[in-house]
Amino acid sequence: MDIGYLDIVVAPWRSLRILCARCVNPTLINKKNRLFLVFALVPFLLIAQSVKPESPIQFKIKNAGITVDGTISDWEVEVDFDPKKLSQSIIRGKANPESIQTGIKLRDKHLQGREYFHIQKFPFISLESKSFQPRGKNAFVGIFELQIRDVKMEVEIPFTLSQTGRQQKFKGEFIIDRLDFGLGEKSLVLSDEVRIFVEF
Amino acid sequence: MKEIVKKLSKLPNWLLLSLILPLLALSLSEKGGYILSKIEIPKVWTDEAMKTWELPNPKPEYSPQPVSEEYYYAMAERTIYRSYPVYHPDHEPEGYWEWLQSLEPEVVWDPSKFITEEDWIKAGEMLFDHPIDTLGAILTNDLVRNPDFYDYVEMPLTPEGIMPFSRWVVTGKGRVRVGNLSCGMCHTRVMPDGSLIKGAQGNWAGDKASVFFATEEGFEPDSDLIRSMGFLMNALFGSPWSDGDPHGKLVSQGFDAIVNAFQSVPIGTFGRQGTSILFAPQAPDLIGVKDRKYLDHGGLGQHRGIEDMMRYIAMNQTLDVLNFYGDFSPLGIPRERLIPDRPIMFAGTHDRYSDEQLYALAKYVYSLTPPENPNKPSALSEKGKIIFAEQGCVTCHTPPLFTNNKLTPAEGFEIPEDHYEKYDIFDVSVGTDPNYTFNTRRATGYYKIPSLKGLWYRGPYLHDGSISQLEDFFNHERLQEGWSPKPIKGHEFGMYLNEGDRKALVAYLLTL
Repeated sequence: MDIGYLDIVVAPWRSLRILCARCVNPTLINKKNRLFLVFALVPFLLIAQSVKPESPIQFKIKNAGITVDGTISDWEVEVDFDPKKLSQSIIRGKANPESIQTGIKLRDKHLQGREYFHIQKFPFISLESKSFQPRGKNAFVGIFELQIRDVKMEVEIPFTLSQTGRQQKFKGEFIIDRLDFGLGEKSLVLSDEVRIFVEF
Repeated sequence: MKEIVKKLSKLPNWLLLSLILPLLALSLSEKGGYILSKIEIPKVWTDEAMKTWELPNPKPEYSPQPVSEEYYYAMAERTIYRSYPVYHPDHEPEGYWEWLQSLEPEVVWDPSKFITEEDWIKAGEMLFDHPIDTLGAILTNDLVRNPDFYDYVEMPLTPEGIMPFSRWVVTGKGRVRVGNLSCGMCHTRVMPDGSLIKGAQGNWAGDKASVFFATEEGFEPDSDLIRSMGFLMNALFGSPWSDGDPHGKLVSQGFDAIVNAFQSVPIGTFGRQGTSILFAPQAPDLIGVKDRKYLDHGGLGQHRGIEDMMRYIAMNQTLDVLNFYGDFSPLGIPRERLIPDRPIMFAGTHDRYSDEQLYALAKYVYSLTPPENPNKPSALSEKGKIIFAEQGCVTCHTPPLFTNNKLTPAEGFEIPEDHYEKYDIFDVSVGTDPNYTFNTRRATGYYKIPSLKGLWYRGPYLHDGSISQLEDFFNHERLQEGWSPKPIKGHEFGMYLNEGDRKALVAYLLTL
């Protein structure tokens, strides 16, 4: 059965079962030991594993009246999200701006440079959830801390969750002001607002 | 004064008001404000300012070291005589030459008469066309009175037959000399219909003109001439610290190689002193220069205000041959020779513009505007406008100036950390030929991102004039061996547009 992302979370359990079944004498795992094992493993199991989503982060920005589409393809996300336990849920993401693509190589290089992402100094963009609120059926809004360069700011990201069996699929869209994060300077032609789309 | 106030106070109020109001209105108007406010002429050449105004050489120990403030201001101020048009010999009005001989010299610079800004601009225009050399730096009386010379350089002329790159100067009765090295000599363009665009990229073969003598029948260089040519090459272009010392190499190749280098400089580029005869820079278009943050193709001079423009004019009008670069002097003089009040006799180094003259020149340059563009927006150019945005051209050539006013490093230049704070850096190289900004005295390691305004009346393009027509920018074949006379690397944008899009983009560029 394909359980998608959750497979990663469940996998250690499965391997433990395999380990116990094949290699360890069941008689050695007495009640006390089993209890210890459960307590020892639970914290690890609660830590979500990171995955690299298939879809890149997408963004759109207006430049001289034309919408430029860009992507950041190298990114990973950690999810431990339970719609019924929002206060305990966590979503974290980390993206590598070196993988930015806008269709023009020299422009990408410029975006990697110090006027924009300055990848030599700030190799990652990070996003970490602070809290979630429900916004209707399968819809939520999360408060995240977004760090680009050395600027950390809270952003509100509305997203949807579609769940098929144990497979969870998240879709979110939000807008940032690039100037808030020191991405370039005020421009007569380049918009301040960047619309960002994430799906995993 | 007290008496006047006393008398005025006795006047009826209505009369007093009628006297004061016009004065008040005048002071509030732009022109009136200008008249009533005293113009502050900046002091151009201070030791402090000259230390930081220019960008350093990529090899910082060879950064320009200008002459001192004391030396500079001890030089004589330039005398500005009335000057007269030079005609092609076949078009010269009858008796014109004889008439010039009969004239008395007339000093025409008198700033005490300048009241309005327009007065300063007008005076600046006169200076723009005024030569700083009458001793034959490039043109001589014999040359400009020889019709063969005009044919040799394919000299563009106005409909009246005027050669607009020089003027006759009468420095004494019967002393009529053709002038050289005016600003207008490199920054005047004759359009195909003979009309002039002052301040635009010049279009005559100035370097080719310099070696006309070598083409005359029976010419054989003697040892004195060969030695002089070597000296001149060093004075103009020597930069022996450059990798491979290309100019030193050229001199060692002999007289014919030097002549060939002068003859090969494309029209629209000039081997200006401090640059190169091997990779001569495009003569810059001065129209719109007021809005540029850097001057010179490598951004050598910062342009933070009118005083920087004045500095650049002073320096560019040959004073940079007095600079030291490390221990290298272009004129081969020891430092001890730079003694105030003892001028060095070379074109443009024995006298200087006064600060007022530089102010007038800068005001004129700032006032330059382009002629009306005959290329009006069309459906095709509108399509090109979209392609211009799609191709990302706007990032560097940002409207409305069509430049982002930044410096882009030449390939291989490692930007020093402190430059990010000091200058406006666009830290991506577009890979154009780095020779100018690595291997000349004006080298900085950067190129200024140029404005695209006025492309319709300019050309050839790029800092070295290597692209003769706009279409070639977007032709990927130019990157490859077989492109004549040699491949043109870099600026690889819009290389694979289809023909329709390429035409549209060019149509748009021509409307700017």
